Amino acid sequence: MTEFYGLPNAGEFWHWTNTLHFILVGLAGGVAFLAALLHLQNAKEARFFTLVALGLIALDLFVLWAESPARFRFTHVWLFLTFHPQSPIWWGAWGLALAFLSGGLLHLNRGPKEALKRVFLVASLVALAYPGLALAVNLNRPLWNALMLALFPITALALGLGLAILLKQAWARLPFQSFLGLALFLAALYPFSLSAEARAHFLEEGGIAYGLLLALGLGAFFGKGLAPWLGLVSAAGLRALLVLVGQWQGLGL
Amino acid sequence: MPRYAMTIDLSLCVGCAACAVACKMENEVPPGVRRLWIRERELGIFPDLTVEFRPEQCLHCANPPCVPVCPTGASYQTKDGLVLVDPKKCIACGACVAACPYDARYLHPAGYVDKCTFCQHRLEKGRLPACVETCPTGCRAFGDLDDPESPVAKVLKEAGRVDVLRPELGTKPKLFYLNAPSKKGLTRESEVHHD
Repeated sequence: MTEFYGLPNAGEFWHWTNTLHFILVGLAGGVAFLAALLHLQNAKEARFFTLVALGLIALDLFVLWAESPARFRFTHVWLFLTFHPQSPIWWGAWGLALAFLSGGLLHLNRGPKEALKRVFLVASLVALAYPGLALAVNLNRPLWNALMLALFPITALALGLGLAILLKQAWARLPFQSFLGLALFLAALYPFSLSAEARAHFLEEGGIAYGLLLALGLGAFFGKGLAPWLGLVSAAGLRALLVLVGQWQGLGL
Repeated sequence: MPRYAMTIDLSLCVGCAACAVACKMENEVPPGVRRLWIRERELGIFPDLTVEFRPEQCLHCANPPCVPVCPTGASYQTKDGLVLVDPKKCIACGACVAACPYDARYLHPAGYVDKCTFCQHRLEKGRLPACVETCPTGCRAFGDLDDPESPVAKVLKEAGRVDVLRPELGTKPKLFYLNAPSKKGLTRESEVHHD
């Protein structure tokens, strides 16, 4: 193909700022889900975790706004003025907004508590699930296959639990290892779920990072003090890698 | 209501890029991005050689994957089958760019997603899209698929071979390629990689 004729718009459309959102939304969704569960158990840590979740959601929403080329056009209001349930991003917008609202009211001890706890739980589940769905719906991009539907929510839970360990919550250790183990198992299976062409592309573009991230994740099962850090880096890195390398269109054109 | 479609006869296309230039001028497409481009491929070795000049743009699919993923309704389909973007509703999230199997969409520097509109502003005035009007070999035809007297319906009826890009995805494109130079149909990137 010669450049004289102009090249298709085949470049990367989601950059590192979008990747940061994919990590932050996992962290925010994971922590919000834990906070909602703690609220349902009337645990004393619930308020603190809600505050952390609110901070992470606010940070994620800020990153989304700041990286958006439409940030000064204020078109984002249409996310909440229109009804598009076929769009995963529409669900994500509502999930994050309702998690922030219900979490905020719970933290401030305002409103119907029991109903708010349930709204918080459902909204946080939507927030941690929608990124995988937003990728998996693109049937034209062979690296974003159905495994994204599991990998993204599970890495989000691992991120949330890893942060909980760093916040001195001993109860988070076992579930953290379980979800991180499951995420690493699925990530190890991932190349085998791809076509030969897609696998070759994935390993060529991201093979070294993929191997390092799996090794770091495994390290979380052996290192003690560093374990949550290794797990966080591994889970966040896997999400970033899949978003960046997965933008490949395949060889169909 | 018409059902707009376009055909490109690849046996007539010489890859002069006049359509790409006309599109840039007509729609004021910024530098570095494009609504229309030409994919040029040489495959094989003489005498088993295929040279293909393939103009590409939005295919205005009947089943467009870019429309349902849009969270604000900025990407929409008109009754006459055009797939358009309303810049006033677009949040530039990139969901439609990701969903398009043809790399037809790009992010406009003004902060919204843009693409070929089949020159809707010209259609409203009864004119042809700029690329069709400017083509020096007449390889492009445009019109109503449901009108047997329209240029597009006529050339589709007379064509020896009709192909669409990535038919396996079920998007039902309304940009048809006629008389591809290879007997196997349109070339694919996978052939380049294995050539």
